[in-house]
Amino acid sequence: MSETRIQFAKTGRARYISHLDLMRTFQRAFLRADLHVRHTEGFNPHAYVSIALPLSVGFSSQCEILEFGLPEDADLSQVPGRLTRVLPEGITVSRCYSGGRPFKELCWVNYIITLEYDAGAPVGAENAVRALLGQERLVVSKKSKKAKSGQVQVDLIPLIRRVDYESRRDAIVLDTVLRAQNPGLNPTLLVETIRRECPGLSPDYVSCHRKQVLDQDGNPFL
Amino acid sequence: MDQTMEAILSRVEKPARYTGGEYNAVVKDRKKVDTRVALCFPDTYEIGMSNLGVRILYGLMNELPGVWCERVFAPWGDMEAEMRREGLPLYGLESGDPVSDFDILGFSLGYEMAYSNVLNLLDLAGLPLRSTDRDESHPLVIAGGTCAYNPEPLAPFIDLFSLGEGEEVTVELIQLCRRARREGWPRRDLLLAAAGIPGLYVPSLYEVTYHPDGTVAAVTPEPGAPELVTKRIVQDFDKSYFPVKTIVPSTEIVHDRVMLEVFRGCIRGCRFCQAGYAYRPVRSRDPRRLVEQGIAACKNSGYQEITLSSLSTSDYRPLEALCDGLLDWCEPNKVSLSLPSLRADNFSMGLMQRLQHVRKSGLTFAPEAGTQRLRDAINKNVTEEDLMTSCRTAFLGGWNAVKLYFMLGLPTETDEDVLGIANLARKVLQLWRETAPDKRRGCRITVSTACFVPKPHTAFQWEPQVTREEYLRRVKLLRENLREKSISYHWHDPDTSFLEAVFARGDRRLAGVLEAAWREGAKFDAWSEYFDLERWLRAFESCGLDPAFYANRARSREEVLPWIRVSTGVRTDFLWRERELAYTAVITPDCRKQCTGCGANCLLEKGRSCDE
Repeated sequence: MSETRIQFAKTGRARYISHLDLMRTFQRAFLRADLHVRHTEGFNPHAYVSIALPLSVGFSSQCEILEFGLPEDADLSQVPGRLTRVLPEGITVSRCYSGGRPFKELCWVNYIITLEYDAGAPVGAENAVRALLGQERLVVSKKSKKAKSGQVQVDLIPLIRRVDYESRRDAIVLDTVLRAQNPGLNPTLLVETIRRECPGLSPDYVSCHRKQVLDQDGNPFL
Repeated sequence: MDQTMEAILSRVEKPARYTGGEYNAVVKDRKKVDTRVALCFPDTYEIGMSNLGVRILYGLMNELPGVWCERVFAPWGDMEAEMRREGLPLYGLESGDPVSDFDILGFSLGYEMAYSNVLNLLDLAGLPLRSTDRDESHPLVIAGGTCAYNPEPLAPFIDLFSLGEGEEVTVELIQLCRRARREGWPRRDLLLAAAGIPGLYVPSLYEVTYHPDGTVAAVTPEPGAPELVTKRIVQDFDKSYFPVKTIVPSTEIVHDRVMLEVFRGCIRGCRFCQAGYAYRPVRSRDPRRLVEQGIAACKNSGYQEITLSSLSTSDYRPLEALCDGLLDWCEPNKVSLSLPSLRADNFSMGLMQRLQHVRKSGLTFAPEAGTQRLRDAINKNVTEEDLMTSCRTAFLGGWNAVKLYFMLGLPTETDEDVLGIANLARKVLQLWRETAPDKRRGCRITVSTACFVPKPHTAFQWEPQVTREEYLRRVKLLRENLREKSISYHWHDPDTSFLEAVFARGDRRLAGVLEAAWREGAKFDAWSEYFDLERWLRAFESCGLDPAFYANRARSREEVLPWIRVSTGVRTDFLWRERELAYTAVITPDCRKQCTGCGANCLLEKGRSCDE
């Protein structure tokens, strides 16, 4: 058995499948595809799968990475097609490769965050967000399971590598590069901060798309 | 998926329940189908997707050319609130289209406490609740399932009820609906024609009259409506449809595994058990066929667990052969096999050990009553010795936890019978002390009691339910006599059982109560988060009806029961005889020892016999 990875997209109806459910979905999909993957030991053996970076429910992504074990002699080129055929609508496997860098080297994520406004984007919205995120420090409190108070203070600025702005008639699109892990910055926290600091900019609907995962230097993580 | 839906889904819990798109969900081209069916399960996705009947009918209808069957479940409160606020009507999971545009809306009725959800779903669909307010421009609203054997409380809301097994009658009804639409029949003509199909009960064709004391005087069929509607069965269960290719939910459901139905019906004849009478005659499936279906279903779904399903799986004659056949494939493929609903009288340790690759969790037995006299009265043919033998084998095999299920309030029950439960639990504990090879982790015995609910089409259909106060008195008596640290006692709340008893044997007037309670917010009554007995009592009061009249009153043999026009194939005089035997605590042997002549075998075609 060797460590194998697939890259997959999660869009449409599949966006609402939670992280745990997605792992179960893949475990079953491997069996449906008749791929003999490494199983866990114990009372209830199941396919061993590991997903690089859990994606929040509702987000779409085109760059999810899942690791599993496949026999050395398996034909990797067939895996994407065989898996995609047996996955729920909205999950598409684009490539399969062996090895890959350790997940801990995955440092940044490119998220496209779209703030949508039914009645058109507020005047000056882009500049207001620019000003908010252009500060030296932006400390917000964040829920934490570890802290006794259930809250920790986080400065968002060091967790943001880059933000590009695009104003549309009824939306502001933030093309962001955010810290992936230890600690990561979830786009939801960024949007919550915008809602709180700039109440006039509260969007009617927010969509988040994970476009690319990057390493420490901002190069694509493979 | 439009933006309204996306916005809603971002605000509700477990949104994967509301999206569809699972593996094996059937999506057809709207333009290439002429009949759209919504299969509605009036509870959550997690419960409804666990129902084998729903999966059978879904697969079967979608195999019909021109028919597209979709699923509908009850949205949880947060989702319902969002749907109502955004004006999003009830939709089919596969297409997202409003179900009010469908041709047929079919409800699966497994539990009386889901009735309020039936009304809520009709309302969410934007349909008038009552049949009389709907016409051929609306979907035909039908219902089937165990509760359809007393269709009366839902009669004004449902256009027709399908009695018994739906595999064949569903197809016949779809054909009839097609013809009605093609030829432009008014709704009433369709209903009259449907009443001519065996197994379909059209409530609007029966007039109910009442005596001054509130009991039913007569249920009179209109010209053209049959005097008696008898349930349908599948004649050849070996060849009947089994969904090998079945939906694999993308989120966790209650029974998330391959379900193999080994037989229908039951040989036992427990006098309280509606399923035991209503699913007769016994028809089983060939073990080789089951092995093939089980393997194919696992391969197709990727499930790693198979469970055997029936009313009493240990009564399946070729059980060992079936398990061996399945395990030969399951073991090398890391698939586990589980076997629920074991009886304490023929529990085989060898079998259990082959099955239990998983950790030694608890074993569950349901003696139902604490003394032999009462077990004989209810015809639960399990002796204390059977239970002790099974427990001994289990303890010797390393099990340290046993769950024992009982009912309180069974007909003829005395305080002695209640105390018998405590004695039985103590004897099991004592047995563990004498036999368990490893006592370090201690023993856990769990006693659970539920309040007995008399059901129609059983030997106890004439019996009163004990009052809630009396049930709680018996609970207290039992609790005071179960002081051992190793024995824990759980009792079900009697309020739900009381309402269940009301609707199980209710008449058509209860429709008004149901509607009144729903208007006051009743829904998900099977869920403690939502159930509120006070709301129901107010609804009864507003309709001038007394729930105790339905739950706690003894019926005479002569009384016209509301479900008199419905037959399960089991004769009423047989049920009465069983009731009389209960009062003398005389058992009726199981159907294999001797045919009891209940009448259900008459449902079989010539040349077939029950339990062959």
